[in-house]
Amino acid sequence: MLVPTKKFDLPTEVISNELVAENHYLLRCSCPEIAAGALPGQFIHVLIPQGSGLLLRRPFTIYTVEGDEITMLYQLIGEGTNVLSSLKRSDSIRVLGPLGNTFEISPAPDPAVIVGGGAGIASLMLLAAALRENGAHALGLVGSMNSARLLSVEDLEAIGIETYIATDDGSVGHHGFVTELLMEILETHEMKNPQIYACGPDGMLRVVTKIALDYRIPAQLAMENRMGCALGVCLGCVCKVRMPSGGFEYQRVCTEGPVFNAEDIIW
Amino acid sequence: MNNIQPSLEIDVAGIRMKNPVMTASGTFGYGSEYVDFIDLNKLGAVVVKGITSVPWAGNSMPRIFETPSGMLNAIGLQNVGVDGFIDKKLPYLRNFDVPVIVNICGEQVGEYLEVTEKLDAADGVAAIELNISCPNLHCGGMSFGVDPKLTDELVKGVRGKTTLPLLVKLSPNVTDITVIARAAEGAGADGLSVINTALGMAIDINTRRPQLANVTGGLSGPAIKPIALRMVWQVYNAVSIPIIGMGGIMNGEDAIEFCIAGAAAVAVGTANFINPRASLDVVEGITEYLERHGMRSIEKLVGSLEVP
Repeated sequence: MLVPTKKFDLPTEVISNELVAENHYLLRCSCPEIAAGALPGQFIHVLIPQGSGLLLRRPFTIYTVEGDEITMLYQLIGEGTNVLSSLKRSDSIRVLGPLGNTFEISPAPDPAVIVGGGAGIASLMLLAAALRENGAHALGLVGSMNSARLLSVEDLEAIGIETYIATDDGSVGHHGFVTELLMEILETHEMKNPQIYACGPDGMLRVVTKIALDYRIPAQLAMENRMGCALGVCLGCVCKVRMPSGGFEYQRVCTEGPVFNAEDIIW
Repeated sequence: MNNIQPSLEIDVAGIRMKNPVMTASGTFGYGSEYVDFIDLNKLGAVVVKGITSVPWAGNSMPRIFETPSGMLNAIGLQNVGVDGFIDKKLPYLRNFDVPVIVNICGEQVGEYLEVTEKLDAADGVAAIELNISCPNLHCGGMSFGVDPKLTDELVKGVRGKTTLPLLVKLSPNVTDITVIARAAEGAGADGLSVINTALGMAIDINTRRPQLANVTGGLSGPAIKPIALRMVWQVYNAVSIPIIGMGGIMNGEDAIEFCIAGAAAVAVGTANFINPRASLDVVEGITEYLERHGMRSIEKLVGSLEVP
């Protein structure tokens, strides 16, 4: 769903930046204007501090909003996130946001099946909170490489979401992929008006899409991509989207997305 | 301290501007994307994303990659087409008191001519910037800008279709940029945009695949600033029409360097991606420099390089 949110580019300070799981950090900062407008699925574009030698900003989903504060849950994947992870309390950053569209959550799903792979779960936490506020029945499926990298299970359970775990090595929960867990849940739970919401690696999202089509369940995916401007002008972050007319169009993850209907994505 | 209030107003290539700072094509969308951050009325000019005769889908992904102090892109000129631009994008820009310069591109001469005719008839276009330097097209685009005969033919053709000021955007991917600059000047260009992106590439050594689906792409950002400055200086010494300098300008000091090298105006590109206020920061930086040096305008700076 496209939303015309006013965007801000704000200087702020890091309140905390902690290791929350192996290779994953949670950064908290105060951004009142962004916090006030942030919707589930939306993201921020963070300027890596000067002197890092890096040029472009890095996009991160908004993990939580608490009063004036927002948090971002991120994985160390390269130079940018390495620099970010070294930031301490009171260090300066610049945050651009809120950016992108949001999830469609009406009519109320029953249940909402939230499927996060790795750090992908971060894009689904605001959604989970919004669903709970609307009184929707929601299930959380969290996939991870292993127990040490497991994210967000406590946060999901804290807001009353029944959460299931899958790990690649079987160190906790289902031994295997979170998509296998999804199939099992769809087979064993009562599904009145099910809706799937997923974010994670491309391979996972492709399988989620196939399952959603097989079971004829609407699914929304939060997509990720390299980004330049995150404002819709550089056209660097596109994904291939099927058009009703039969053709396709490259749509911007930063503007038409990050949330897309699974059936519309051409992989 | 003196109290000289510098005036930034200038006329470049027949385009009257409040200040010498434009946005570089492809880095500012169609203007509307930046209104949460800046007042478009405060810009010298808005140069919009390259337009073609029909909408273009663009290249497949990945399209961008960051390199040291720079960024590679191979977007492939995804755009709404000239009719879509005139119907859907231009009306919004007419709400502002800022010259709108439309960058145009094509694969064939005929496409450039068709786009030019339509823009010439449209209300609210201040000038045309002829893109003969897009490195990401398999035909057309840059091929016009690396051959002086083709440059001459295309610029003459477009010149014959419009009385609007005509800028020609030059490619750095040539042996001698002055040859192309002179060809464009001789064919009737009113000004030259120097430079477009420099052709480059990057490789993922683990997969041995290129970082861009198009394999090669255009390099922009501070990494190309020294090349851009050198080319502005060379072109300044080769032609008598004004130059709009661009390539890695991040702040007012960078812009002043371009003016000293010979640019009558500048365009801010990749910096818009990093700092949405970048273009206005450059305007403020130029003003501060002029105040600090007791100068009334940038005109005396243009091409004022003191060669030892």
